[in-house]
Amino acid sequence: MTRRPLLPPPRLALWLLRVALPASEREPLIGDLVEELATTAADRGEASARRWFWRQSAIAILTLRRGRRRAPLLHPTGDPPMLRFLADLRHGVRLLRRAPAFTLLSVLTLALGVGATTAIFSVADPVLFRPLPYPAPERIVIVGERDADGTMSNVGFLTYRDLARDARTLDRAAAAGGWEVTLDGHGAPERVSGQRVSASFFSVLGVRPSLGRDFNAAEDTPGTNQVVILSHGLWARRYGGDTALVGSTISINGAPFTLAGVLPESFESVMAPGAQIWRVLGYDESLPYACRTCRHLRMVARTRPGITPAAAATELSALSARLVHEHPKEYPAAGAIVVSLGDAATRGTRPVLWAVLGASALVLLIAVANVANLQLARAMRREEEFAIRAALGAGRGRLTAQLLAEGLVVATIGGVVGLIVARVTLGALISWLPPTMPRLSAIHLDQVALAVGAGITLLLGVAIGLVPALRERRSGLSDSLRGGKRLTGGRRHLARAALVVSEVALALMLLVGAGLLGRSLVQLLAVDPGFDVGHLLTLQAQATGPKYADSTAIFANHDQLRDAIRRLPGVEQVGTASQLPLGGNVDMYGVSAQDKPLANPELAPYADRYTVSPEFLSTMGIAIRRGRAFTAADNSDAAPNVVIVSAGLASRIWPGEDPIGKRIHVGGPSGVWRTVVGVVANIHHRALDATESSQAYIPERQWPYADNIVAVVVRTHGDPSTLARAVRAAAQAVDPAQPVTALATMHQVVASSTAQRRLALLLFGAFALVALVLAVAGIYGVLAGAVAERTREIGVRSALGATPGAILGMVLLQGVRLAGLGLVIGLAGALLLGRFLQSLLFGVGSADPLTLLGVAALLATVAIAACLLPAMRAVGIDPMSALRAD
Amino acid sequence: MLGEFEQLVLLAVLRAGDDAYGVTIRGAIVRESRRDVSLAAVYKTLNRLEEKGLVLAHVGEPTPERGGRRKRYYALTAPGRRSLRQSVQVLQRMARGLDLGLETI
Repeated sequence: MTRRPLLPPPRLALWLLRVALPASEREPLIGDLVEELATTAADRGEASARRWFWRQSAIAILTLRRGRRRAPLLHPTGDPPMLRFLADLRHGVRLLRRAPAFTLLSVLTLALGVGATTAIFSVADPVLFRPLPYPAPERIVIVGERDADGTMSNVGFLTYRDLARDARTLDRAAAAGGWEVTLDGHGAPERVSGQRVSASFFSVLGVRPSLGRDFNAAEDTPGTNQVVILSHGLWARRYGGDTALVGSTISINGAPFTLAGVLPESFESVMAPGAQIWRVLGYDESLPYACRTCRHLRMVARTRPGITPAAAATELSALSARLVHEHPKEYPAAGAIVVSLGDAATRGTRPVLWAVLGASALVLLIAVANVANLQLARAMRREEEFAIRAALGAGRGRLTAQLLAEGLVVATIGGVVGLIVARVTLGALISWLPPTMPRLSAIHLDQVALAVGAGITLLLGVAIGLVPALRERRSGLSDSLRGGKRLTGGRRHLARAALVVSEVALALMLLVGAGLLGRSLVQLLAVDPGFDVGHLLTLQAQATGPKYADSTAIFANHDQLRDAIRRLPGVEQVGTASQLPLGGNVDMYGVSAQDKPLANPELAPYADRYTVSPEFLSTMGIAIRRGRAFTAADNSDAAPNVVIVSAGLASRIWPGEDPIGKRIHVGGPSGVWRTVVGVVANIHHRALDATESSQAYIPERQWPYADNIVAVVVRTHGDPSTLARAVRAAAQAVDPAQPVTALATMHQVVASSTAQRRLALLLFGAFALVALVLAVAGIYGVLAGAVAERTREIGVRSALGATPGAILGMVLLQGVRLAGLGLVIGLAGALLLGRFLQSLLFGVGSADPLTLLGVAALLATVAIAACLLPAMRAVGIDPMSALRAD
Repeated sequence: MLGEFEQLVLLAVLRAGDDAYGVTIRGAIVRESRRDVSLAAVYKTLNRLEEKGLVLAHVGEPTPERGGRRKRYYALTAPGRRSLRQSVQVLQRMARGLDLGLETI
């Protein structure tokens, strides 16, 4: 059938066919018609063949309007979408395996972001988001007296009793105080902290002991309060989980206590983190420390259903006004403050946690930006692959699905590694947290945190896949096939540039945050605490057991401790006191002056009570401003009662007067009159950033009772830490049964009073460092890519006479523009973040220009350094080889 | 289920084997069905079958008797074979055991 055509096809018909047929059909159809014309002519003759050709052409022109559509490479009737997705995933894994450096970098970056965020979220979750682990927790409130300055204060026992008895909005109430004890049966003596609580305490919380019984009201009196309840942890650890012990007696502080019950394992002590033992309070009005001004108890209550804290506050304030009316000399001000226990427990840490959580989210954002950037760079190198696939019929949706699958693979691996990172860092983080951190025991990597991690990972996968996919969508695919070596980079880098700009901005925000926190800490540590911090060693000793039944024995023990330590070489001076500044104790007593009777009770000041050995003030280096220091002769209950007051207390009671020789009561309007013999400098008792408080120093033997726990301060000639071992040994030798704890230099004590700030600074600093590294890597990556792509252009430029300086400047300018834009946006963000950090700042404004400019300068310097390397490479391009490359 | 003409075209592609392009496909249908079908109708149907993924097209070499124009060759895809087999089997099953008086023709 292949004969040469005998006759040419009709020209007009051919022309019509060429004009009218869709492009795809033209060549094969006309070819077929021409080929068949020959055979038709041979069969039927030329004229008939020509008519046949015209007829076929006419039908073709009239009916074949629509050309053929390209069949998809993978036809829709083939694999179902799920199978296709799995194939994409497999393809993604194969591709990643072929690019190990890219994969490793992406996975590590993501792991860092996911790990940090998940770990920080786990820490913050209980405080920020989770309700307290008690039934109907919103009804549990803390009730406090309103001080003259509007702040919330603890309550005295009688105030608690009256409020609890009369309040209609409260379902039940309890009082609680701190309790530090030594357990001395069942093994080595051990110090544990706990609470003394009203019998109703656990029913206020809505908790019942899982073993034994709760306290009962009959036990809640002075003579019968030798009853304790243990935490499950303490019972299991120290007492071997012995159920037979419940109901019998255990030895505490050398005295027998009835072990009434054991709390459930799940019980979490929110009010007193770290508490392991609870004793029934056992107060009544006969006790000297049960007075209205003895405000050392916290009142916790459960409101009636439907009663808000505000409603309870209204009623309790009215009750308080009545109490003030009845006892005008015993209250500084009228009013009650009611806050939910959840708020009261977490209020102090919320700002820190929000700030740190925000910082970790910023790190995550930077990590995502970086990985998206890496993906973009890779997508550019794969443009030909995508173009070929598109040319072979892969639809846009298909390519997007492929990129998404690859993003998901990277994100999933990163997420899994990130959760491992979270697990490891969370352990370290918890050991770093101050033990006073609320809800510390509720922190763990639970399902919620895992779900958050998984959710983040999924979002990351989509984000990482979508960024290059969107870019792919915009760029013309066919361009890439035509040999993509174009002259300039141009707008193709817009997406990457935007990512780098945001990285620089985020890094700047974190660096500014770290800078502000760091400067705050420096400012804080520069605060004069009122005593000489250097060359001081401190420790705590406790006189415990039957041999310390009376105060004489305890005072003798204190004397022995001082003597034993003073004898050590290198020790200059030794003093003891009932508490330590910045040691975390609150032991305040009302002070009333003989010559200023409580005509205006609202002005009656409170002071930290320090019962001290005569050498304490000079050992601490607390300066005497007026009068004299204590002498050894003062430390006797036979000597005239004397007191030394801080300058702040003196000026509050006797503004403009000489306090020396004036007489005061410490601890309520009753008691002995003490003559002021000296005035000393104020010290920071509670915290370096707290306003200075007032102190009253009293020789320990002139106080009605001896404190079991004594703080020993040791002034050394040299480095105090080198003496630590010897001091401990000497203290322990005085009484081997005596617990010696909290051995630390005063520097350490001061530092640990700033633990929360340190943690925030550490985290911010670490995050800022990561952000800086990622941002710099981002700038470098974009510039290096741009230089590589513009090799030809740069070659042309230098061939046309551009100097190396001009080329260096051109590349540098590109990097500097990116960094500069990032810095400007970052500065705006930093100003916002600073306002957020406000409550953590000390002695430095949230818009501190020194920090802002310093950090910006640092970032700019590092960014320019990152630009230099690609710029040098651009200068080194040889114009001839660059032009010959294509 | 395929249309009748679709079945004819697919069978013609099968018959033509390696040499299945417009002329041979139309030739087979004209010869066996004794119908003078237009080339355009064949092309239209092939296009539709291609869109359905039942046939695959590829471009061949130009030959002189076609004025130097390329042929477009066709082959059945796996789904194309499957669909065709099903259609033919349905016809055979429907016809089985029926006295259509076919012998008398």
